[in-house]
Amino acid sequence: MEVEKGKTAKYLKEKRPVPKEVTGQLKYYTKTKKLLLNALKEKEKTVPQLAEELKLPRDEVLFQLMSLLKYGFVETGEIDDMDEYFYYKIKNDGKDKS
Amino acid sequence: MQEQMKTWEYDVLVVGGGIAGGESALNLAKLGYKVLLVEKEPSIGGKMILLSKVFPTLDCAACITTPKVSEIARNSNITIFTGAEAKKITKKGERQFEAIILKKPRYVDVEACTGCQLCEEACPVSVSDEYQYGLVGRKAAYIPFNIASPRAAVIDIENCILCGACERVCPPNCIDFTQIEEEFLVKIKSVVVATGFDLFDPLKIPRYGYGTYKNIITSMQMERELAPTRPFNTILRPGDGKMPDNIAYVLCTGSRDKSVGNPICSQICCMYSIKQAQLLMGALPMADITIYYLHIRAFGKGFNEFYAQAQDMGVEFIKGKAGKITEKENGNLVLRYEDIEAGVVKEAEHDMVVLSVGVLPHQGISDVFDNQKLELDPFHFINQSDILASPAKTSIEGVFVAGTASGPMDIPDSILSGGAASAETTSYLRRATL
Repeated sequence: MEVEKGKTAKYLKEKRPVPKEVTGQLKYYTKTKKLLLNALKEKEKTVPQLAEELKLPRDEVLFQLMSLLKYGFVETGEIDDMDEYFYYKIKNDGKDKS
Repeated sequence: MQEQMKTWEYDVLVVGGGIAGGESALNLAKLGYKVLLVEKEPSIGGKMILLSKVFPTLDCAACITTPKVSEIARNSNITIFTGAEAKKITKKGERQFEAIILKKPRYVDVEACTGCQLCEEACPVSVSDEYQYGLVGRKAAYIPFNIASPRAAVIDIENCILCGACERVCPPNCIDFTQIEEEFLVKIKSVVVATGFDLFDPLKIPRYGYGTYKNIITSMQMERELAPTRPFNTILRPGDGKMPDNIAYVLCTGSRDKSVGNPICSQICCMYSIKQAQLLMGALPMADITIYYLHIRAFGKGFNEFYAQAQDMGVEFIKGKAGKITEKENGNLVLRYEDIEAGVVKEAEHDMVVLSVGVLPHQGISDVFDNQKLELDPFHFINQSDILASPAKTSIEGVFVAGTASGPMDIPDSILSGGAASAETTSYLRRATL
């Protein structure tokens, strides 16, 4: 069967349904990303401040925040007065580079 | 079945595209042999390409590996299969082997991919990045790491939601979800096994708390934190993002320990920990670094001077056996250890602990040889049947071993071992023409 170039994902999706855990994982990431970006819209914050505000574990906030830093949604600000935690701020109004 | 398979012919099959396998492949290719290099990961370069710097010179690891990897990739005598494994190798006769190679689909046309990363930006999925040892996320459409070779995208099909976003943005239309697993029959004259090593999994020592306490990391995770392509903006505790100022190293985690099944020394942990300690003192000038050790094995050229340099820089060395690590409410860690020189049990508080994990054999390759036995040593590394006169020789004539597949060793020794394997392979191939 000839599959049109650029539309091959649809072809595989018909043959191989996406597992529920994978879509669940995507929902979790999308939700956490939205929460973090909304929290940072107001002002720049540290990991403990974000964790407290969002009631999320600090290690989870760091993991997601560093992923958003890598994907270009946030950027690093100054370090706090105690030289312990960095502030992170929203970049390009939280919009994807693409 | 085999009749339907694509058949290829090469002089040598090199299994493993790390620094030792790469060195062997390159040497053989320069002598005019046709080499098939098979690597299970989507990029060649092995573990070395992911390191920050090398000891004792503190040269940038990527600056050494990248030109080498590039030379391998450009050599017309070398064919590279990434995402591929040798499934079965059969000796058919003198200088006659047949191998079945399984090539997994990458879902990307590597030749057409420009590495523009537009697919990565468009992909909505985020999962743990194995090349950053789980410290940060990556997309399901991704380039494994910046200096990957080939620098082409891969689709992580297990985590892909098949939304097609990557396909829609790909300028050369190189994403192809119709790709399937392929098997090739390869006829070769000789085999070099360079399958490398595995790192000890510290979850096997529950009293250290790795996995439970987030501020305990492995030395490879610290290696990533120190590398220019680091997962965080700087060196941070994974538990809460705090910049650490009191870091402990626990040497011999999973080495010289019969209770975890690895009684031998891993040969590299002392020196890479000392290297990381020096790099940390550069990156975090106010930090206190303590190394808990049983014996410091600084046996190579310049190693003892490197150790002395770390002491002069202020790294504290405590001859102590770590017993248990517990966590305080603020995320700091309490390390209970036996001070061997004082003969007492003590406790010390650190805000981050690095477990210097040992080297284990990468098992499985011996099962690939179906009609001859590739013998292993008592520690499950590939046995070197004539270690002094012919270090690459194995129990199968025509099969040679390179690098850490034969035992723990550092980078210069791995490269030397790769060179030895290529020399012995050449000698074996030339004997046929004499």
